[in-house]
Amino acid sequence: MECVITIELGTNATRVFVFDLAGNMIGFTKGSYPTFHTQPDYSEQDPEQIFITMLYVLKNLLNEKIYPQGYTVVSIVFSASMHSLLPVDKNGVPLGYAITWADTRGQKEAKELNNSLLGKDIYKATGTPIHPMSPLIKLTWLKNHDKEKFDQTDKFLSIKSYIIQQLTGECVIDYSLASATGLLNIHTLEWEPAALKHAGITADKLPALVPVFYSKFKLRKAYQTSLGLSAKTKILIGSSDGCLAALGAGIWGQKKATITIEDSGAIRIVGKDVLQDDQQRFFNYVLTKDYFISGGPTNNGGVIFEWFATQFGDFKKAFDLEHCMESLINEASKIAVGAEGLLFLPYLLGERAPIWNANARGAYFGLNIKHEQKHFIRATIEGIMYAMYSICKTLLEHREIESLSINGSFATIPFCAQMIADIFNKPVQISKNTDSAGLGAFLLGAIEMGIYKDIDEAAQTVVLTNTYMPNLQNHQIYIRHFAIFERLSTKLFDEFEEISKLQQK
Amino acid sequence: MNQFLLQQGQSKELEAFPHIIEFALKKNNTVQLNSLDKAITDTLRIYYIIEGKFEWIINQQHHMLYPGDMALILPGQELCGENSFLDIGTLCWINIHLDKLDTSEKLIPGKWSGLSKNEALTIGNILLLNNVLVLLKVKSVAEIFQDIESELHNQEIGYRTRVNQLIDSLLILITRQLTSQNNSHRDFPQTFMKLEQMLRQNLSHQWTVEEMAALVGLGTTAFTEKAKSYTGFSPFNYLINIRISEAIKLLKRPDVNVTDIALNTGFYSSQHFSTTFRKLTGHTPREFRKLNMPNTK
Repeated sequence: MECVITIELGTNATRVFVFDLAGNMIGFTKGSYPTFHTQPDYSEQDPEQIFITMLYVLKNLLNEKIYPQGYTVVSIVFSASMHSLLPVDKNGVPLGYAITWADTRGQKEAKELNNSLLGKDIYKATGTPIHPMSPLIKLTWLKNHDKEKFDQTDKFLSIKSYIIQQLTGECVIDYSLASATGLLNIHTLEWEPAALKHAGITADKLPALVPVFYSKFKLRKAYQTSLGLSAKTKILIGSSDGCLAALGAGIWGQKKATITIEDSGAIRIVGKDVLQDDQQRFFNYVLTKDYFISGGPTNNGGVIFEWFATQFGDFKKAFDLEHCMESLINEASKIAVGAEGLLFLPYLLGERAPIWNANARGAYFGLNIKHEQKHFIRATIEGIMYAMYSICKTLLEHREIESLSINGSFATIPFCAQMIADIFNKPVQISKNTDSAGLGAFLLGAIEMGIYKDIDEAAQTVVLTNTYMPNLQNHQIYIRHFAIFERLSTKLFDEFEEISKLQQK
Repeated sequence: MNQFLLQQGQSKELEAFPHIIEFALKKNNTVQLNSLDKAITDTLRIYYIIEGKFEWIINQQHHMLYPGDMALILPGQELCGENSFLDIGTLCWINIHLDKLDTSEKLIPGKWSGLSKNEALTIGNILLLNNVLVLLKVKSVAEIFQDIESELHNQEIGYRTRVNQLIDSLLILITRQLTSQNNSHRDFPQTFMKLEQMLRQNLSHQWTVEEMAALVGLGTTAFTEKAKSYTGFSPFNYLINIRISEAIKLLKRPDVNVTDIALNTGFYSSQHFSTTFRKLTGHTPREFRKLNMPNTK
């Protein structure tokens, strides 16, 4: 029997899924690693630890579950978080840790470029919002603040490129992940000269560009031996977690969007054209040369509810955070829609789409003497969803959306799924396979093997279940609260600036 | 309790307990200059505040102690009053001699203790690893002090065993309090992150799961379960994971030899390192180095 393995190099963990050729998930494992914050705005990870963690969990899964069942691995497909940057020297040895998407050290660099005409042109060409998350901005920061490392660097890699280089010796990046670096022209599929010039590098400092189906790798003999794989096992470079989550979410064809909420969140649509937005509110990433994945990301997803639970949850009865969150949600469901006029701005981590304001902060608004703890719980969840809806509203200016497919651990909690249906006033479906990025990676592998003739056919096979229908009455209540939420988000701009300045001391 | 001062070599009560160097309760009614000057001892000093407010400098850190708080001064650490005098108030203390294990710095209670060897080692390590010198609101310490005092005073049948048991209880209580004060059970990821940092800082130490669990203030079963669900690894495999990651970094630097790398990252020997490394990567450490540093031998 044959199987396909997908490896997702995620923000907190590497997740490995195994699929049989019919697309049924037959195995899963994960291994997590820490993010280091040596300065408040730094977020870094150890590339060697990611590599070893990946090897370790993969080897265990193969030996304990997959080989004993008689499976052979036909291909391994990679997926990874976007926007990471790892400088390496001429021997390919990392110069320090990898900088992750969550790193915001380049705020000043981002602001400067954003306010310039050049910034507008680069955004149009590359599809990546000008933001500290973008490798373009990280490079600019390195050039300005760590010239020594910048000069010593032979190649600027992504974490995925590094892992693949360790396994195969090749230095490559797929167009899809490259399109999230702020350096790739998404229309010509070449490195964008204006962006390279701004970053102060030449194209030879970057890995070679290849399509997402690229598989001409040779797994190093040593890893063939340690993992028990044959030389015939194909390695597919794959794409980014965001693009693959869209592929695995069953939204192909028109008028559908997918909402992912884990710690952070995003809403994405698929199209053959990019979304042109003068206010630069969306990303436009490339999946293949025919398809763009567009949408907006939020910093403040499930991580905000986790924060709330950690601070205010009742740990006397609950055994751990998960149980505690469960009982909080239970409490929240006893409160009426709209939390009786208590609003919450969830911008504890600053915000990306649609307000793109790193200095935005959280707030509870509308408190009166009758509000109880339960109202806070409900308001917190509603606030997270309003922020999501505010991204969706900007998308609706460009595209029609008739239904939603949701995934990610937070969005798929039934209480949250129903709330999304009500707030967005759209039917909501959950994909059978809760990890859409893993499924998307499998589909890429299956297309490459010829199981499906193209992306369209593969995407049609995604099974969506559990429809949550919107309740119009609830929608109308939500929408009146949302109107105030939306105004507060922009009205407080000056106060956000001032309070964040105070907090930086 | 009334004031008392028992000292090894002078007080008959302590004859049967050579490891108790001093045991006292003091009601301090007046400020006397230089009554608490800088002092370093090679004993473990445990102070418990009954009344008053004490401003101390322990190991160069300022601390304010209130009734119910206790201070822990490790062998070789320095204690002195903020103004070199003992503040007004009531406090009690006990000074205990701990053995050093072999020639290392590790502390371990002597033969008098009923703790198992493993427990004793873990407790010793936790005391050494923690920078927290002041524990807040540990009222049960007062009861233990009181019991020790009355056992020593009355010398009823079995008192030798009881006193030593009480000191063991005191050490256990302190260790548990230390770890729970340092770790929030609400936030396992954060707790685990702190543990990870400690593991990295002492990678060459031969960690046991019991020790890791104790450091985060959990029992081994609960800890193993939580670590597994959070990281995907058993605690021990997670540790090996960090060890190999660090070793890889060192292998990519030409100036460290493989045996040193093995020992620095906590493997028993270069053989043990080589086998573990090869199992995971398919390369021996030397082959791996050659692959990544083509210009070195």
